[in-house]
Amino acid sequence: MTTSASAWPTRPQIRVRTYGITLALVAFTVFAARKVGFSPSTFWEVWSNPLWEKFWPIPWEWVLDGDNVIKPLIETFQIAVLSTIVGCSLALPISFAMSPLTTPNQPTYLVSRAVMNVVRAVPDLFWAKLLVTAIGIGAFAGTWALSVFSLAIMVKLFSETIDNADSGPLEAARAAGGRHTPVVRTGVFPGVFPAYVSYALYVFELNIRASVVLGLVGAGGIGRVLEAQRQFFKFDRILGILVLIFVVVWVVDHVSVALRKRLV
Amino acid sequence: MAVATSTDITPERPLPPRGTHRRRWGIALVLSLAALWSVSGLNISFNRLVTAPGEAWTVLQQMVPPAFGKVYERGAVGKIFESVYIAWIGTLIGAILSLPLAFLAANNVSPRWIRAPIRQFFNAVRAVPELILAVIFIPITGLGPWAGALAIGVHSIGTLGKWATESIESIDSGPIEAVQATGGQWVNSMRWAVIPQVMSTITSYWLFRFEINVRASAVLGMIGAGGVGSELVSHLIFRDFPAASAVLILTVVVVLTIDTVSAKVRRRIIVGSVSDMDSSRSSEALADLTGLRR
Repeated sequence: MTTSASAWPTRPQIRVRTYGITLALVAFTVFAARKVGFSPSTFWEVWSNPLWEKFWPIPWEWVLDGDNVIKPLIETFQIAVLSTIVGCSLALPISFAMSPLTTPNQPTYLVSRAVMNVVRAVPDLFWAKLLVTAIGIGAFAGTWALSVFSLAIMVKLFSETIDNADSGPLEAARAAGGRHTPVVRTGVFPGVFPAYVSYALYVFELNIRASVVLGLVGAGGIGRVLEAQRQFFKFDRILGILVLIFVVVWVVDHVSVALRKRLV
Repeated sequence: MAVATSTDITPERPLPPRGTHRRRWGIALVLSLAALWSVSGLNISFNRLVTAPGEAWTVLQQMVPPAFGKVYERGAVGKIFESVYIAWIGTLIGAILSLPLAFLAANNVSPRWIRAPIRQFFNAVRAVPELILAVIFIPITGLGPWAGALAIGVHSIGTLGKWATESIESIDSGPIEAVQATGGQWVNSMRWAVIPQVMSTITSYWLFRFEINVRASAVLGMIGAGGVGSELVSHLIFRDFPAASAVLILTVVVVLTIDTVSAKVRRRIIVGSVSDMDSSRSSEALADLTGLRR
C-alpha cells in the first residue's frame, strides 16, 4: 500500500497590484497619522491623564435641580418633537413628487430630487450654524435646522418606499378615470402609510440625538448648558448631564422601537 | 335592460373598520397638542415665524457668488483634507478595536456570559454622539485633530462592532464544524472558518463607516476638534457669507466624491451580494448623515 503524499492545494499567487495597493494604504495611513498627531503612545497619555479624576463624583444635587439641566432637556425634547412634526408633514407631499411612480410631472420630479440631494449633502450642524447666523441664536434656529434635515432624510426614505409600491391599484384608479391627487390618495397612499409612520418614528429618534448637540453651535437645548459647563471646566457636571441625556435617549429609543414593532 | 337597471343601484361603500375614525382623531389630537406644547415651550412667536424666512433669504443671497479664491488662499483645502485624515484614523481605530470584540459578541462562536456585556458595551457606545465624545476628549487631549480622531474612533467601535457581529452570526457553520472535526482549537476555527467568510463584508462596512466619518469629522471641527468645521465657523462669525458658502461647497464636493469612490470600491469587494447590502444599509446610511446614529 503506497501512501501518496496528499496534494496540498496551491496557494493563490499574490499579485503585484495587491502589494501596490497595500503599500499605498499603509503610506496613506502613516501620513494621516502624522497629520492627526497620532502614535500608539498617545492612547496611554489619554488614559493616564490626571484630568479624568475631575469627572468624578457627579454633583447630583446640581444636575437634578430643576432649572439647571431638566428645563433645557425639556426644551431639547420639544425641539425634536416640533421638528419631527414639521419635517415629516412637509415630507409627505414632496416624497410623492419625488417618486417616478406618483410624480405629477417630469420637471417637479427632477427639481425636487436635485434640491433634496443638495440639502442632504450638508451635515445637520452646518445647517444649524448657518441658521443661527442668519436668524439668531436660540431654539428657533435649531428647530428650523432639524426640520430641514428631517425633511431631507424622510423624503429619501419614503420616496424609495413609494418607488417600490405595487403599481396595480394605481393603474386601476387611473383606468377608472381618476385625477392625479385622488389616484395617488387611494391607489398608493394606503399601501405605504405604515412605512411612513415607522420612518417618522425613526426620524424622531434621530432628532432626539441631534437636538442634544445643537446647543454646541448656539441652536438651543441641552447642548447650550454643556457648552457653558465646558468653558468653565466643570467636568463632573458634564458627566452628570451626559448620564441624563443617555437616559432620555434610551427611553425614547425603546418606546419608539416598541411602537414600530407594533406597526409592522 | 339589465344594463339600465344596474346603474340605478347605488353601490354601497364598504364601511371602514370600526373605531378607525376615533383612533385617527385621537392621534391627530395628540400630535397637535405635542406641537402646541413645543411651540409654546420654545417661545416661537407668530411674528418670528413670518420674519425669519426673509432674513434667511437675505443671507442666502449674500452667499452668491462663493469666494473660492479667498478660501483657497486661507488653506481651506488643507483643512478639508485634515477632516479626511481624521476620519481615516478614527475609522482605523474603531475597526481594529471592534474586530476582536465582534468575535466575542457573536452568538454562534461565543458563550453567553461574555456576549451579553460586550453587546451592551456596543449599544452604550453607539448611544453617545461623536460630538459629545469630543466634548469629553478635548480637555484631555487639547484642541486639535487628535481629539476628533479619538471621538470618531470610539464612536465607530459601537456601529462597526454591531455590524461585524451580525455578519459573523449569519455565516455558514459548515467550515467551523470541519475545523473542529480535524481537531482545531477555537482560535483555529476563527482563523480558518470564520474570517475567510466574513472579512470581505466587514471590510466593506469599514469603508462605509469611513464615508460616514468624513461627514462627522467635518462637523467636529465646529467645536475645535480639527478639520474643516472650524473654517466654516470662523467665516460665519465674521458674517463672511461668500467665503462660508465656498467652504460649504468644497466640503460637499469632497464628501460626495469620497462617497462615490468608496461605494465603487465596496462594490468591487463584495461582487454579487452588493445590491442587497446597499438597499438594506440605505436607511442606516441616511441616519448616519446626521453623524448621530446609534
